[in-house]
Amino acid sequence: MRKSSKKKNQLFHWLLLLPTLLFLGVFLVAPLIFLIVLSFRDVDSMLTVLSTYSFSHYIEVFSSKIYVKTIISTIWMALITTLLCLVLAYPAAYLLVRAPNRKLRALFYIMLVSPLLTSVVIRTFAWIVLLAQNGLINEILIKLNIIGEPLSLLWNMRAVIIAYVQVMLPFAVLPIATSLSDLNPNLRNASMSLGAGRIQSFFKVTLPLTIPGMITGAIIVFSLAAGSYITPLLVGGRMQPILPLSIYQQVMQVFNLPLAAAMSISLLVIVFIFVGILGLVLKRWETRMHG
Amino acid sequence: MSKIKIDQVSRHFDENVALAEVNLEVQEGEFFSLLGPSGCGKSTLLNIIAGFLEPTSGSVYIGGNDVTGLPAYRRNLGMVFQNYALFPHLTVFENVAYGLKIKKLSRNEIKERVTEALSLVQLSSFAERRPHQLSGGQQQRVAIARAIAIQPSVLLLDEPLSNLDAKLRKEMQFELRNIQQRVGITTILVTHDQEEALSLSDRIGILGKGHLQQVGSPLEVYRRPANRFVAEFIGQVNLIKAKKSVSQSEAPEGKVLYEAEEFEAAKNRPLQLEVEAESDSETLFMLRPERIHISFIPLERTVNNAKVQLKEISYIGNALRLNVELGSRELTIHTPDPVFNELPKPGDAFYIYWNSEDIIPLEAGE
Repeated sequence: MRKSSKKKNQLFHWLLLLPTLLFLGVFLVAPLIFLIVLSFRDVDSMLTVLSTYSFSHYIEVFSSKIYVKTIISTIWMALITTLLCLVLAYPAAYLLVRAPNRKLRALFYIMLVSPLLTSVVIRTFAWIVLLAQNGLINEILIKLNIIGEPLSLLWNMRAVIIAYVQVMLPFAVLPIATSLSDLNPNLRNASMSLGAGRIQSFFKVTLPLTIPGMITGAIIVFSLAAGSYITPLLVGGRMQPILPLSIYQQVMQVFNLPLAAAMSISLLVIVFIFVGILGLVLKRWETRMHG
Repeated sequence: MSKIKIDQVSRHFDENVALAEVNLEVQEGEFFSLLGPSGCGKSTLLNIIAGFLEPTSGSVYIGGNDVTGLPAYRRNLGMVFQNYALFPHLTVFENVAYGLKIKKLSRNEIKERVTEALSLVQLSSFAERRPHQLSGGQQQRVAIARAIAIQPSVLLLDEPLSNLDAKLRKEMQFELRNIQQRVGITTILVTHDQEEALSLSDRIGILGKGHLQQVGSPLEVYRRPANRFVAEFIGQVNLIKAKKSVSQSEAPEGKVLYEAEEFEAAKNRPLQLEVEAESDSETLFMLRPERIHISFIPLERTVNNAKVQLKEISYIGNALRLNVELGSRELTIHTPDPVFNELPKPGDAFYIYWNSEDIIPLEAGE
């Protein structure tokens, strides 16, 4: 009897999952398979998709100087964004966890996630208003006589990274905050009772014990930063050497769909490799601490 | 000179008074327990001594120096926490070495001291393990080794045994006392477990409602509790309110007679108490359940005895616990097992008596 009720229970669980599974199957897995297949299709000189298969697009992606440079700068940009996010997120997370009362904490959380509540386009245009040649920052700096000529703040990689950091900060803050609030406050007291000052206690106890939160944040920020194209398109311009932009160009302007597919799959694999490495580090650290 | 001196220390949390003008001195090498129910302020006091909390007013002296404004990391105190608080990312060795590395001792010295501390708690072979690979009792020992390794001037224990099961707790109590004796370190233990405090301590301070109710040896606080709070908190107790008798002519030399009107000993006659010393005309007396004796034949005395009726009885192996009715009130009696061949039944009547030195006056108030 127990066994059959257990089975029924399992069936019920699957039923609950079914709509989600169907949705993901139709709109994620199937397109992905289609994309993989497409990436191996040959094209003729008019870029018409042929029925033969080869590795030619992958060879092109990884042998062309421009594409390799693009891949490297994409990874580099995502890494810098991740690093900046972690550095900026940590103090914010600390403040969030140490908020003196619940009301204040709720307010901090709302402030934190508010950038996520505006659309990408609006948010990015706000950056254009701020950073443009005749934008707010340049105007103020000129008015204050700090600079004579307007700085070119927009249409470069720096602008992309600044905009990214702003959008992705909450994704880094939240896991770090969770990690921090899980920390037993007596660990810090224990460290202090053993003679370590506040700063020493932070670097020897608090920081190492919140590595899991930082890695989780890094995984989210890195994959988002490596994969989005609207923000770099709008604040960086379409000439920035960023893989998602190259993919966009291949699809919308060159119409070489198989090459675009090969680039997409390459990007996906690269992100997976980074996430996989970070995941392994996370797992090793957690087994070390909790078995 | 005392090792620790708490001078008029108060601590308020917003409107709430957690500690009110506590004065306390702990001697060098002493094992001192702060005992009290939860919320009595004992942890607050320990945290003030440790430096994790600042007193609202008053001062703390350690070894004659005023440390009131000194942060925890400058006080050189060893502390053991209730949930052990071992560093999960470090091995047992690294945990114990933590404080020594902060002190920037040489590698050899660190190794020597960690080895010594671990052998003191009998965990030498566990040096390379991580905290999660140890049992609760072992983690507790590592925490003790870690605190002792820095050779602190005082060892502070915050409910260190309350997370362990009963049997292990007994073992660790014994071991804790043993370690403390061998190292000879001044120790303050915070606990809500009276048995733990009684069996471990040289002296006990009982805290209740933010006040230090009594300080004394285990014997003193059990036998001569200062007030009702202490009497009721430590062990079980029968409380008897009595008035001084009008006529003291029948009282033997050096004894005083009291009458407890609430307890009717025999038809319209209040319970007569004969006590050792005179106190207020109306006094609350305490009588421990194990100080009451039982007799099945009537007694040839007029004081400190009564005829009672059994209400409840529970047999707990080495002893009997009896609830008896005396008039409209009840008394609790503990008596060793072999008194009866057959257990009395509820409703049975018998006689109880006690000695005048076992009826202890309690101070009024709290």
